[in-house]
Amino acid sequence: MDRRRFLGSAVAGVVGSTLLSCGGGGGDDSTVTTTEPPASTAPVIPSPTIKSRVIVIGGGMGGATVAKYLRLWGDAISVTLVERMPTYTSNIMSSLVLTGQRTMSSLSFSYDTLRSKYGIATVFGEVVGIDPVSVKVTLADGTVLTADRIVLAPGISFDDVPGLGTSDKMPHAWQAGPQTALLASQLNAMPSGGVMILTIPKTPYRCPPGPYERACLLADWLKINKPGSKLIVLDANPGIVIEVDNFTNAFTGLYGSVIEYHVNTEVISVDPNAMTLITTAGNFHGEVINLIPRQRAAPLLAVAGLNNATEGRFGRVNVLNYASTVAGAEKVHIIGDASATTQPKAGHIANQEAKVCADAISRILSGGSPDPAPVTNSACYSTITMSQASWLHALFQYDPGTADMKAVAAASGASTGWDVENFEDMETWFNALMGDSFG
Amino acid sequence: MNARFHFLASIALAAAAVAGTADAQVGEPGRLLASNCFQCHGTNGQGPGFDTIAGKSASEIYQELKDFQAGKEGAGIMAKHSMGYTDAQLQLLAAWLATQR
Repeated sequence: MDRRRFLGSAVAGVVGSTLLSCGGGGGDDSTVTTTEPPASTAPVIPSPTIKSRVIVIGGGMGGATVAKYLRLWGDAISVTLVERMPTYTSNIMSSLVLTGQRTMSSLSFSYDTLRSKYGIATVFGEVVGIDPVSVKVTLADGTVLTADRIVLAPGISFDDVPGLGTSDKMPHAWQAGPQTALLASQLNAMPSGGVMILTIPKTPYRCPPGPYERACLLADWLKINKPGSKLIVLDANPGIVIEVDNFTNAFTGLYGSVIEYHVNTEVISVDPNAMTLITTAGNFHGEVINLIPRQRAAPLLAVAGLNNATEGRFGRVNVLNYASTVAGAEKVHIIGDASATTQPKAGHIANQEAKVCADAISRILSGGSPDPAPVTNSACYSTITMSQASWLHALFQYDPGTADMKAVAAASGASTGWDVENFEDMETWFNALMGDSFG
Repeated sequence: MNARFHFLASIALAAAAVAGTADAQVGEPGRLLASNCFQCHGTNGQGPGFDTIAGKSASEIYQELKDFQAGKEGAGIMAKHSMGYTDAQLQLLAAWLATQR
């Protein structure tokens, strides 16, 4: 049945190429010797039958990576990736679309390699139900998928902003896609000497340095393209939340004549027709408003009853295997921005959470237990100007005392200032990261 | 270091034999640690990305990371990254990366 067809079509793509190069070391050899001649001459079939099944929901940075690594590292695990869209649009680098430095198509990544090289089955559809106990997923067309494990990587959603309704006059452009292109066109249409407003929501939100780097990038763009314009940054937080030195220096030095920065300023409601924000610090009017609302996990978490952290916004997980901490839902794992951990919500670390999760699931499904001391890292570059960037890094070690991932102080911090070389490195980093996640 | 790798590999083989399965992939020492490198150096350290790691010996990789830790390679992002690991972790991940060609 399904099982056979999956093996026949999907695993065939893996044979000889991927599994030979993936496992590495003695491990692979032992796999080979029980069933097949030496690896270099004959295709390696990991197992005559699929031993277990995993459904991954959401094909972003975390979802794509966990699907890939379950196939690379798992012992004959079949993986089905369920995703709404046929291609992924990267949020990373998407602010450069606003300045015309990147195209939307340069941010687009397909699932072709995950299918052809790793034998992952893709289902493009909408998940409407998850039963964490019987490990079942129901799709909008009525299809029911069953598995041994489910990995949820659905990303974020936004709080409704009172008064906004369905208006597209104040795009968030915080999920790259149509809103990114929309904000770019609004910026282009803005008159010189105009006012742009960018709002920063309360933490935790996706990509902590993201709004600040966007502010810097747009301030540089406005200086050149819309002389005399002002960028008002309304921060719901009491101050810059990350990379404080660089962003403070940029805001007050480089962009002192462009950026007006307000802290503890939370949007209460909006009037899109008047292009006005009603905030805890008064009303603000702008010609272009980039309204980034407060965030929570995608609705799927609440549908499944797994939003048990951060006042119901995100899902608490065991960071040894990313299993939900909701009683009875231990076979459902949550990775990336939808989960509540001490780690930032961002694509690079979602990729590493995915690897920890894939390794743990592959061990568990083979009768073992997760690595007791996982390590993760977060790394990124921030555009401080249209041609210069800074970098930011953190490395997390598992802390048995708190059962959380703990940032290693010596390995956490940012570059001192910004330069052209970092901007070039940003491109290399982006290509490598996307290759490790989708290629 | 080569001897060390053979030692690690034989542990993995022995573990698989004891478990009575062919699944020695599970629990490979160093693999999950080493995967922290892949975001910037490509899957299994094979690129594309910054310097390709695959093909280097365990002692080469370990020594480079120690140099980064000691600040001999500047104050860039790799120096910061290297400071997050214990010495034992560096040895494990270097040994695993050395298995990649």
